Amino acid sequence: MKKKIQFVAAITLLALALLSTRYHMVDLPVWHFFGGGQGPDPTTLHLRGEFVESNLGAAEGPAGSLTMRMIAQQYLFVPQCIVVPAGVPVHFRVTSADAVHLLSFLGTDYGLKAVPGAVTEATFTFDKPGSFKIPCHEFCGAGHSAMRGQLKVVPRDQFASLLPGERRTCGPR
Amino acid sequence: MGHVSQTALLRIVVSCCGTLLLFLAMSLLWSGRDSSAQSGNPGPPVRVPSNVAWTDETTAIASGGNAFRGLLLARRCNHCHGEEGFSSDPAFPNLAGDDRLSFWKQMQDFRSGKRISPLMQGIADGLTARDSADLAAYYSMLPTTSDPQDRRAFPQTKIWDPLRARIAIRLIVFGDGQRGIPPCQSCHGPVAYVKGAPPLANQNGGYLQEQLEHFANGNRTNDINLRMRSIAGQLTEDEKTAISECYGAGLGPGANPR
Repeated sequence: MKKKIQFVAAITLLALALLSTRYHMVDLPVWHFFGGGQGPDPTTLHLRGEFVESNLGAAEGPAGSLTMRMIAQQYLFVPQCIVVPAGVPVHFRVTSADAVHLLSFLGTDYGLKAVPGAVTEATFTFDKPGSFKIPCHEFCGAGHSAMRGQLKVVPRDQFASLLPGERRTCGPR
Repeated sequence: MGHVSQTALLRIVVSCCGTLLLFLAMSLLWSGRDSSAQSGNPGPPVRVPSNVAWTDETTAIASGGNAFRGLLLARRCNHCHGEEGFSSDPAFPNLAGDDRLSFWKQMQDFRSGKRISPLMQGIADGLTARDSADLAAYYSMLPTTSDPQDRRAFPQTKIWDPLRARIAIRLIVFGDGQRGIPPCQSCHGPVAYVKGAPPLANQNGGYLQEQLEHFANGNRTNDINLRMRSIAGQLTEDEKTAISECYGAGLGPGANPR
């Protein structure tokens, strides 16, 4: 009898521990959901915060580090064309303005899910120079099939010779 | 026996507490990381495309207008935009059947100077946010069926080039995946709408072409999150003409049959 109660109590505790992560609701890493709703509001991305339109694209940090901020929205990635130097780790910060999108970098092994209300982060290093497509890999609505960004990986010395605006994005600014 | 079960209980409790503590530590670490990343380096000066954001309150204000009050207010719009919401000059947009949110956002942007038009800015300055919502309600209710008695410029009887027609229909229906141009109809109807996107099926071609060019060369920058600027910037001159002619000739998907 005592054993039975212990067993039930243990299972209940385990279930509570799992449910408290809300892992069954969304397919994101659990730590995104602690601290509830600290991410940017998807409707006011253009008004305040780090995803205002003048702050999108590559931003160079103090020690030559590169942070790439992008918005995924129906049915565009903004900025639509990005330039990164080859062999340098690029820190991506991506969010969505409406539905869930997924940036899949064709020709590489990398992918990034963009979720409204959360910032997805990852650090990628692109070794091979060239031009890569970034199609959306998560069905997001009527225009999903034509949702495609572009990634240009250029040699490091060529990247250094670009103008500041050209280093930020290669799309419209 | 009692000794063993006590150990087991201890193990279970410790593992459960350990799991919870681990998650707590992860969450604390993560939140600390987030705040440090946001307060990092100040980027270039903030540029805001439009003061309108589609929060729940804004959507409620923009879509909750009184159409009868709008009817009375619309008398001052009739001269350019037509008595039935169809203008007699293709340079002015048709307002009949316009989307409420789209209409309201444009009026707010004219007032705040985010969308620059010497003509409309003065007119919009004389209207409150509620007036704009009333007008939006009125124009969204106007019928878009054709009326032979009216002096409307739409649909235009323009030279219709079959080659251009193929370009236009392809872009409107399928977009261009290779360049990342989404189909027009996935946001501007009739397939789907996004918030703040006007329906284009009954719009004047001249107006559409002018706006596409303004988006492409940066004269018009009030689209949220660079949506239309990214798209129009990639269209060629031929494609802009083809799309606007197709919609202006009343041949876009969702247009009323003539």
